[in-house]
Amino acid sequence: MATRKKVLLKVIILGDSSVGKTSLMNQYINKKFTNQYKATIGADFLTKEVMVDDRIVTLQIWDTAGQERFQSLGVAFYRGADCCVLVFDVASPGSFKSLDGWRDEFLIQASPSNPDHFPFVVLGNKADLENRTVSTKRAQQWCQNKNGLPYFETSAKEATNVDQAFITIARNALAQDTDVELYNDFPEQIKLSGSTENRSSGSDNCAC
Amino acid sequence: MKDAGVTSYRDLKNMIEKNREVIYSNDMEEQQETATTALHSSVDNITIHNPIVNLSITEDESKPSTSKQQIVHENIFDQLKGNNKHIFVLSTAGKPIYTRFGNENQMASLFGLMIALVSVTQDSNDTLQSICCGHTRIVFLNKDPIILVGVSQSAEPYDRIKKQLTYVYNNIISILTLTQLKKIFHNRNNFDLRRLMSGSERLIDKLISFTENDPGFYLDSISCLQMPSSNRDKITQTILTECSKIKNLVFGLLIAQKHIISIIRMKKYSLEVSDIHLILNLINSTESFKTAESWTPICLPAFDSSGFMHAHISYLAEDCQACLVLLTIDRDLFFLLSDAKRKITEKMRRNDCLQAINEAIVRQPLNLARANIVGLRHLLYKNKNRSQHWSPPFTSPYNTDTLQQNLMSVYCSLISQMNFPGRTLKVIYQQLTAETMLAWATDDVELYMCFEPLVSKECATNAITKLTQWMKKEEDSLFIFNIPMF
Repeated sequence: MATRKKVLLKVIILGDSSVGKTSLMNQYINKKFTNQYKATIGADFLTKEVMVDDRIVTLQIWDTAGQERFQSLGVAFYRGADCCVLVFDVASPGSFKSLDGWRDEFLIQASPSNPDHFPFVVLGNKADLENRTVSTKRAQQWCQNKNGLPYFETSAKEATNVDQAFITIARNALAQDTDVELYNDFPEQIKLSGSTENRSSGSDNCAC
Repeated sequence: MKDAGVTSYRDLKNMIEKNREVIYSNDMEEQQETATTALHSSVDNITIHNPIVNLSITEDESKPSTSKQQIVHENIFDQLKGNNKHIFVLSTAGKPIYTRFGNENQMASLFGLMIALVSVTQDSNDTLQSICCGHTRIVFLNKDPIILVGVSQSAEPYDRIKKQLTYVYNNIISILTLTQLKKIFHNRNNFDLRRLMSGSERLIDKLISFTENDPGFYLDSISCLQMPSSNRDKITQTILTECSKIKNLVFGLLIAQKHIISIIRMKKYSLEVSDIHLILNLINSTESFKTAESWTPICLPAFDSSGFMHAHISYLAEDCQACLVLLTIDRDLFFLLSDAKRKITEKMRRNDCLQAINEAIVRQPLNLARANIVGLRHLLYKNKNRSQHWSPPFTSPYNTDTLQQNLMSVYCSLISQMNFPGRTLKVIYQQLTAETMLAWATDDVELYMCFEPLVSKECATNAITKLTQWMKKEEDSLFIFNIPMF
């Protein structure tokens, strides 16, 4: 099947500022981590090829700004996403509470055709910190209530669970990618109902 | 696992700041003058109205994670810089559909950046049309659900790049129909259109080359195979006799490579030049038509973008390499058309039409020297009423591809100047270092002449009269005047 050759998935990363979205990207793609914080302005775009089962998949990752004042990319930005990754900081209860808002915002802006089964993946980042305040159980509970979203506790700093999380992201997005037979039906026959002679907007482009 | 690339919003900002000019959607002519200010105010709104942002950028210039992503990123851009003209097609979700050069997967980040630019502008209720940085011009054509982007590094005019993008768009429509394209993305806006386009990239590649080299693209016209009009009439009549009774047959064309031999059409329906260019591109890019008669759906966007025409495509005979295209709206007409084609060939063989076509194909094209005009090297002649053009073969000193391309771009800029929207010019006389150019237009004719460099204005204008007289004698064989209806 020719369609097996190329798959490209659009993955949007959302979450409050400084929960570590960009750090996760950096760890995943460059295997690097820095403690320095630098706000993302607008968005960063990253590309990565991964093998999922027997398919080569290109992840087109849209790392967004968490800070509200830097979010000015417009509605068109979320459109057509294949997967959305919600990130919070296990040491920041506020960032965990925001997940609902991020999820709703995404569903409104992206308006996916099947919102109840849209593939979200939830990441509790900074799992290496000692002062965590959001328990695993609480996070799992939240995910359970949203139709059982997959949940990972990650550490961008120590590279814990990062690759595993992204493989799940790719796999779940792919699972949605069923070949709906939406292009097999032929359009209806053209009706010769009028004349095209006067249609050409006054131009002289008719070869006759 | 390999490739990673990053394109940050900061690059975007820098890029925009460097611009001299961005065109937003207003009236064309005004834009170019007012654009700079319009841009800067909008850019401020988009990114840096908050001084803290500026601070965070300057304070924190520690290179964003050097390493792989940066390197790959730079490699891709180095590759891109090596080519003069780029065309990208993407969905409004930012998924790549087509790139003229390179691997679109590796450029996924770049496509994301393009959507960011479009989206940011859309958010302020505007439409991004083009960005200029030095000699580089980036033109956006938003045809929701797809977006086309053209990048030219040779100071090409906005209109021409936009027209090239429109041609590429039309080619995509001709493969899918507009109805299907819209339906696909309506049902799934994350659809990866490459699935339906695979195998068609070649057609788009060829079409882009056509738009770079063929005077027909600049002049909105077709070129005809030169032959005595009596022969052409006989050929046309033979096709007409077999086809006129076939219900739902709309157009018939006989094609020899890039040239049209004959056209017939159903009453009330006419074929637009841009649609003929798509058909020519399809025929000339598909070798397999030469070996088997084919039945293929093709949407002609100017005729009707909502549905498919069905084309019966076949070369007349082993010993006559002219291609007959019969277009119908009825998808069940193959056998009837196949039969008609067989009869047409038989009849043409009997009445010596095949031979006439073969002779016309191998004949030396009409040489400009026969016009006997001192200092005239080359020309483009367009019959405006017929949308047909004629151009003699290149002669010395235009002996190399580069020289010919240079001359074509001189023509091209003259054509743009003559046909600038909202303004009509009658004459342009232009003395360049390597040649003297004269453009001249009436209601019926557009003429572009290339002279030796030192030819005077008077001498050049006198040549017009002489040339038009000569053309009057020759035009019967150079153009198709008889396009019968049925």
